[in-house]
Amino acid sequence: MRREDFLRDMDELLELDPGTLTGREALADLASWDSLAVISFIALTDEKLDTVIDGESLAKAATVQNLLDLLGDRLAA
Amino acid sequence: MASFDLGGRVVLVTGASAGIGRATAGVLAGLGATVIANGRDQGRLDATVAALPGGPHVAAPFDLLDIDAIPAWLKGLAADRPLHGIAHCAGVQVSRAVRQFDVAHFDQVMHANLASALALARGLRQAGVHAAECAMVLVASVGAYIGQPSNIVYGASKAGLIAAARGLAMELLRDGIRVNAVAPALVETDMAERTRRTMSEAQFAGLLDRHPMGIGKPEDVAHAIAFLLGDGARWINGITLPVDGGHLAR
Repeated sequence: MRREDFLRDMDELLELDPGTLTGREALADLASWDSLAVISFIALTDEKLDTVIDGESLAKAATVQNLLDLLGDRLAA
Repeated sequence: MASFDLGGRVVLVTGASAGIGRATAGVLAGLGATVIANGRDQGRLDATVAALPGGPHVAAPFDLLDIDAIPAWLKGLAADRPLHGIAHCAGVQVSRAVRQFDVAHFDQVMHANLASALALARGLRQAGVHAAECAMVLVASVGAYIGQPSNIVYGASKAGLIAAARGLAMELLRDGIRVNAVAPALVETDMAERTRRTMSEAQFAGLLDRHPMGIGKPEDVAHAIAFLLGDGARWINGITLPVDGGHLAR
């Protein structure tokens, strides 16, 4: 899956306008990044990338890019 | 004790490849039942059957998402010997907040957890498929009783099973089939382990804290299912038995 397409899915998940997220955003600055968004992110990666994100790693993420890094080579540039 | 003996009984166990289903197959076989083990993966079913005491037991691979084909499949299974019971342990748990709700998610969970049970009931009540005295046990969840963020569709499907157990119990009385359900809390299964991996340590500690007797073992649920299938429960119909280590009592 392309990185850009995944970011658009994250826009939808966080109820942001398409094209909002670039990767540089701090999660703390995103009002809609809450505990339900975390669960939704896990569901998103499971559905779209067939991978289950480790909860402890997810808890350490500080930026959107940190989240993308958890997905490793499952995302194409 | 005779009322717990399942000698001479033939019982279909769905979801028998893992978790509560596999444990149920083991407990029922240990009580003397002939088990027909259902799942989707022939290899895993064969492993389940090979580990069962007594027998001969049977592996019956079939995808229960093929809902409308279930009655005919059951008829074929029971061609040689009618069933004395079904333990419907197959199901799925997918956590999703309502912000991700869509029809595909709804259909996936409702078909796997609820429609499959109704199709099994339809199949079981056919002439020749069930023995004169028969019982069906559905595996619901405490998730039907308590509000859990992101577990809404799953909880609704399990609440549907509880309502279905009541309705089926009344509708299938004339066929000699009792229908009950169990409602487990968190049990040590592969499915639960998958959920645990998605949680931080703090989140999982919070979940454990809501289980005053710790999390359950698949056999804890299997024993309750075995009881509800047997003669010891002959006057129990349409109920849902929590098997939850006190989870709902808190």
